[in-house]
Amino acid sequence: MTEPLLSVRDLKKHYPIRKGLFNRQVGAARAVDGISFDIEEGETLGLVGESGCGKSTAASSVIRLEEPTSGEVVFNGNGRGSASRNPDGTHPNDVTEFDDDELMQFRRGAQMIFQDPSSSFDPRMSVGSAVGELLKVHGMSDRHRRRAIVEDLLERVGLSASDFDRYPHEFSGGQKQRIALARALVLNPDLIIADEPVSALDVSIQAEILSLIDDLQEEFGLSLLFISHDMSVIRQICDRVAVMYLGEIVEIGPVEEIFTDPQHPYTEALLSSIPTPDPRASIGGIELKGTVPSPTNPPSGCRFHTRCHKVIQPDGVDIDQDDWRGLLNFREKVMTGEIDIEQVRENVAAGGNDPTDSEVRAEIRREFDISETVADPDLEETLSEAMNLLLDDNAEMAGEFLSDEITTPCAQTEPETTVHAPDHESACLRHEGRAAAEPNPADD
Amino acid sequence: MATEGSERFDQVDWSDLSRSGRFDLSINSIGMLLTTLPLALLAVYDTQFIGDRTPTFEFIGLDRTFEAVDFFFIFTLFLAFWYLVLPLYQNPRMTRYYWKEFRRNRPAVVSMVWLGIVFVGGIIGPLVMSAPQQELLVAYQPPVFTSVVESTPATCVGEVMNGRCHGTWEYPLGTTNAGRDVFTMIVYGMTISMQIAFITTTIVATIGITFGTLSAYSGGWVDEIMMRFVDIILSFPTFLMFLLILYIYGGGLGMFIVVFSLFAWGGTARYVRSKSLSISEEEFIKASRISGASTYQVIRGHVVPNVASSIITQLTLLIPGFLLFEAQLAFLGVGDSTVPSWGQLISAGRSDLSYAPWIVLAPGIVLFLTILAFNFLGDALLDALNPEAEAESE
Repeated sequence: MTEPLLSVRDLKKHYPIRKGLFNRQVGAARAVDGISFDIEEGETLGLVGESGCGKSTAASSVIRLEEPTSGEVVFNGNGRGSASRNPDGTHPNDVTEFDDDELMQFRRGAQMIFQDPSSSFDPRMSVGSAVGELLKVHGMSDRHRRRAIVEDLLERVGLSASDFDRYPHEFSGGQKQRIALARALVLNPDLIIADEPVSALDVSIQAEILSLIDDLQEEFGLSLLFISHDMSVIRQICDRVAVMYLGEIVEIGPVEEIFTDPQHPYTEALLSSIPTPDPRASIGGIELKGTVPSPTNPPSGCRFHTRCHKVIQPDGVDIDQDDWRGLLNFREKVMTGEIDIEQVRENVAAGGNDPTDSEVRAEIRREFDISETVADPDLEETLSEAMNLLLDDNAEMAGEFLSDEITTPCAQTEPETTVHAPDHESACLRHEGRAAAEPNPADD
Repeated sequence: MATEGSERFDQVDWSDLSRSGRFDLSINSIGMLLTTLPLALLAVYDTQFIGDRTPTFEFIGLDRTFEAVDFFFIFTLFLAFWYLVLPLYQNPRMTRYYWKEFRRNRPAVVSMVWLGIVFVGGIIGPLVMSAPQQELLVAYQPPVFTSVVESTPATCVGEVMNGRCHGTWEYPLGTTNAGRDVFTMIVYGMTISMQIAFITTTIVATIGITFGTLSAYSGGWVDEIMMRFVDIILSFPTFLMFLLILYIYGGGLGMFIVVFSLFAWGGTARYVRSKSLSISEEEFIKASRISGASTYQVIRGHVVPNVASSIITQLTLLIPGFLLFEAQLAFLGVGDSTVPSWGQLISAGRSDLSYAPWIVLAPGIVLFLTILAFNFLGDALLDALNPEAEAESE
């Protein structure tokens, strides 16, 4: 196996949170928390996930726009291939350890396209100079030579050479993204990181830009790290896809396999969000409730367990999955003190006269999608007990009680990586028994 | 177009190219250096080799003396030419765009014409017109088309009709109590006003931009200290400071400009800081950083140009303040009475207001129009120099 062009290992980016008079660090937002992936030469890897899951931070850490907290980014482009590790375990091609000269060289090997075409160009610089700026920075002082190269490149991305002297405000979003492509290409890099390059564009223009990216990739043998939250765009352009949730990669694999046979519940949920053109198809969407938890204080165990629709029931419990999810949500809300029993009472009272306790109970069940009686008698009792405590305005006791009685393995154990097929891995506890997690072959 | 056939971006051999390119001087900088050098030599010659009372241009037979203010004024003119006017010529598309936007504001166009007259008058005027001489015989001549009682002027230059002395084209705006031509004095005052405008703007912009961007990019406690220093500058009683310096060293025009511009950059620095902070979050700054540009290159190439175009407005609105202040000080009799500024002229005519109002009115109206013009211009520039806002609203 030839070595990959880019190899990211256990990359972390934590933003310190400082407080107080002496700026003491009181915590950290773990935007990217240990991700690993490889990109082969000429390959497109998609990085997909909700907003706020750390995709863009991952991108800017890989390209060293921001200094990663820890981890390794081995870049074998620029003819730096076939380097072996130093005796002390560091890699000579580790981007995070590059000095200024090496970093300058790395800039010629990896470039980036940004999301917002309206802010990615200096409004006071003609687009020709903006693209040529890179050549200038890297030492091409001949103005005419720069102009010739940039004009040629502008034509290649579907604009005309005469656009050289025009200013960003004279172009549409799609045209600006073409120019952004030209800017990323002008140093002839091996790798381009595209951070949501089409999400700000109309669908018809999206398709044009994507096919342009595809053509250029084929012509110049580029590798791409393509970041998007849109699964249909990923499917169109990527060879492999990595699904990110809250700073971690939960599943990575070839795009066809991920789309036909998703292993991680989060991937399933993402896939079910793709709209289908068939009007008769029922919306089988899996609805993820709640928001992405804060990366400052990520959930214990599997980070997805607070929203997972397939969250595991402990041994000896076998109830309806919706009920189980509802119970966990109820527990979470009670523990964080987000249930205001007075508010519930008022809501019920709005329908008629003074609410009875049983009406309030029913309302809580309705709110959390828990059926009239939970199939498991022990759990049913726990639930009633907790609701009694709540009705007595003893939310704190109720929280403690629930946290003791209702537990899921997902919250306790961090899932290991499971290999489903060569190249296809996911991190979910439900697979733990199915296939023994063998060490990642690239993780040597 | 291409000098070497059609070279493609992927055929460049980067190991060939040294990084010396970053020290290349632009044509603007070369021009600036070439023009500043003789000026600097002349300044050195003036201060070191000839006596204080010898005119600077005696060696070519001209009886003209350059003060420090004059040297600095010419330097700022060079700066404005190479870094403001020439770039407008070099980037015709942007210039056309700015002009199109600017043209919409009619009062601003009129203002610019007026300021153009003041500018050209201030530069050319003293070269072609000799300085107004004291001639007591022709004191109190009325402006052309007007007349005063025969007894007001010492001798009437124009014709006397029905006991009234009529003005002539010889003294189009009349003369002062010392018989100086008011029009000539106003033209000489234009020079002073332009000197104040250009030099203060240069000082304020230089310190403000440097201080503001440094503060924004340093961050942390350096930023904190720098901004608290700005607070001190802003709350400093400049007027008292000026009076103090005036009584100790005596105050010429140069002193006025230096003292007031050294204490006027606080607001600019603060504005530049906040603007650079917001600009440094833009994606084009990120793009520039991953191109490999150093922090200095990013600031010089992207942050400063973007900040500068927004503070042009602020600076334009700062100038009238200085002009007005100079006039006020002159009127109060604080300041150098040998400087032929509009304020001094107004001050000289105030005791004759009842029978020779033109001595006060003519420079007063010119001063008023100039200040008004700067204000209109500032507002119009704010609208014109903001292409991104325009693009967003489309």
